[in-house]
Amino acid sequence: MKAALFNPIRYSGSSPAGWPVAPSSYDLEIGRASMLGGLQNLRLADELGFDWVTVAEHHYAGFSLTPNPMVLAGALTQVVKRAKIALLGPTIPILNPIRVAEEYAMLDNLTGGRVIAGLLRGTPNEYVTYNINPAESRDRFEEALALIRRAWTEPEPFGWQGRFYQYRSVAVWPRVVQSPYPSLYMSGSSPESGAMAARNRIGLGLAFTTVPLASQAAKFYREEADKLGWQPSTDQVLYRVGFHVAETDEQAMTDMVESGAAKPNVGLTMANKAVLAGAMSSGYFGKAAEEQKERVAPRDATERVEKGQILLGSPETVWKQICRVRDEVGAGVLDLFPIVPIADRTRRSIELFGAKLLPRLHEN
Amino acid sequence: MVEQNTGSAFVERKIDADGFAIRYLEAGRKSDGTVPVICIHGAGGLRLSPMHEMLAKTHRVIAFETPGFGASATNERSRDMADLATTLCAAIAALGISDYNLMGTSFGGKLATHMALQDRDKVQSLVLLSPAVFRPSERPPMATPEERRTVMHAHPERFPLVPADPEVHLKQETLVRRLIGPPRDAELEQKLPGLSVPTLAVFGSEDRLTPPEMARFYRQHYGNAHIMLVYDAAHLVDLDRPEAVTEVVGDFLARKERFLVSEQSGVIHP
Repeated sequence: MKAALFNPIRYSGSSPAGWPVAPSSYDLEIGRASMLGGLQNLRLADELGFDWVTVAEHHYAGFSLTPNPMVLAGALTQVVKRAKIALLGPTIPILNPIRVAEEYAMLDNLTGGRVIAGLLRGTPNEYVTYNINPAESRDRFEEALALIRRAWTEPEPFGWQGRFYQYRSVAVWPRVVQSPYPSLYMSGSSPESGAMAARNRIGLGLAFTTVPLASQAAKFYREEADKLGWQPSTDQVLYRVGFHVAETDEQAMTDMVESGAAKPNVGLTMANKAVLAGAMSSGYFGKAAEEQKERVAPRDATERVEKGQILLGSPETVWKQICRVRDEVGAGVLDLFPIVPIADRTRRSIELFGAKLLPRLHEN
Repeated sequence: MVEQNTGSAFVERKIDADGFAIRYLEAGRKSDGTVPVICIHGAGGLRLSPMHEMLAKTHRVIAFETPGFGASATNERSRDMADLATTLCAAIAALGISDYNLMGTSFGGKLATHMALQDRDKVQSLVLLSPAVFRPSERPPMATPEERRTVMHAHPERFPLVPADPEVHLKQETLVRRLIGPPRDAELEQKLPGLSVPTLAVFGSEDRLTPPEMARFYRQHYGNAHIMLVYDAAHLVDLDRPEAVTEVVGDFLARKERFLVSEQSGVIHP
């Protein structure tokens, strides 16, 4: 198995609930410290032997200070010397796909071919950010995916007459280093997305879900791929999961409680009832909308451990939880994000994971 | 000249040229000063699509039936593509047309290329739809109607191709096989760099017969070619996504290479 350290660069100060969050509640010093702390953790992960470091795109709230993950990844190319840099990822239906292709190509050059290219549909609230209709997100996604691949591989300038995108001439410089292009991942918790990932022969990322739902989604993806005559590799199933490791189970739970992370968490879309209602009526969640709500339902720490949404405890306890993800989901990549927002304990948790769990993980 | 109403904006006529009586469909005004668009069909024979109807709103459009296709007599006289091109250039001259835009589809794309080489002083722009000048060495299976449908269409639910009568189909296939030449035609390729007419080569992203991977050869060999990929369309681009094809073709006819620069306003509200 492989391990990635995901750092959304969370704002470490207090900020009001809801989405979007007023910029007036942002403290410059705290914000800057949060960003530098995030970079330090990702550098640490590289030194400890994590296979990947991961960044993502989220807007308008303290949950993540990386509205453009490409910018952070650009900084990481100068900090992370060994690990692959995974962007899971840009929300392509709300972006200019050619710009995404160009930025990935830059990053692939800056890292000498160590970029993992996630191409995500994002959470519904992101569609408010750049005023894009979420009802069209899947169609925009699939077209953007086709266009980005073409932009990476086409040797001559070409035009694109799409449904959502129109370009008279595309000729991306620099070219991507990896051949034919970086490894691709998309999120695939819904049946529609799982089928799309299989159809496009790209990796599947399962995030903010539960082990039973992720198992079901991964099984569906493999079955769809099988129907189309191909088998995803183990690495092509990624499971994103929160984690906190301490010396003992008790200490891990104490850290959770003291940091406030043990309380039920509310996702970005759930944080705004109007956005959630709009997303529901747009058909954003697809046919299995109720299941999708189950994925992101607020739960306390114990429930989250039971559902496999977080890995929590001593190294020995967490190892058992990892084995469950491996055996039930069949995930080859764990995308781990720290859930205790206390700098020294987060650091200790990453170090413990690196020392006690990474070697075992790499053997499996 | 025989005139017959076909029921669409197009009117059917015939013209004698080079010893053939050539049927053609025509629409659009003659007198508005725009340069006409001459259309050369593919191996399936003369057909109109919504693209032709839309283009006819702004241009005089003439779609020829190549001798040997449709109800015309078996053509055993044309020796090769260049010879057939000579016949069609003669038909255009017989209509009194001195300058024209030329559009060729698939097999007709190769024929139109030969015509552009012969009529290079008259052709103002060359539009190639799913052209068959450069072809992969192998064709996808097309033995059954279902296989043929999936090769031709990404969206058969939109404007499905009406299959030709089997006898006509066989006659056309025989002619096409005799004339089309190899997938890479060295003799023609030698002449292409000298073809300086503004050329637009259009490919469906899902085309397996003349796949988009062929597009680069047009860019590399023609003297002045632009490539346009039409997303989510197969070989019959103008039936799968006629609006998308018409928009870019219309813009290219109007502005030639300047079509690269957008003239669409970004203003949302004044």
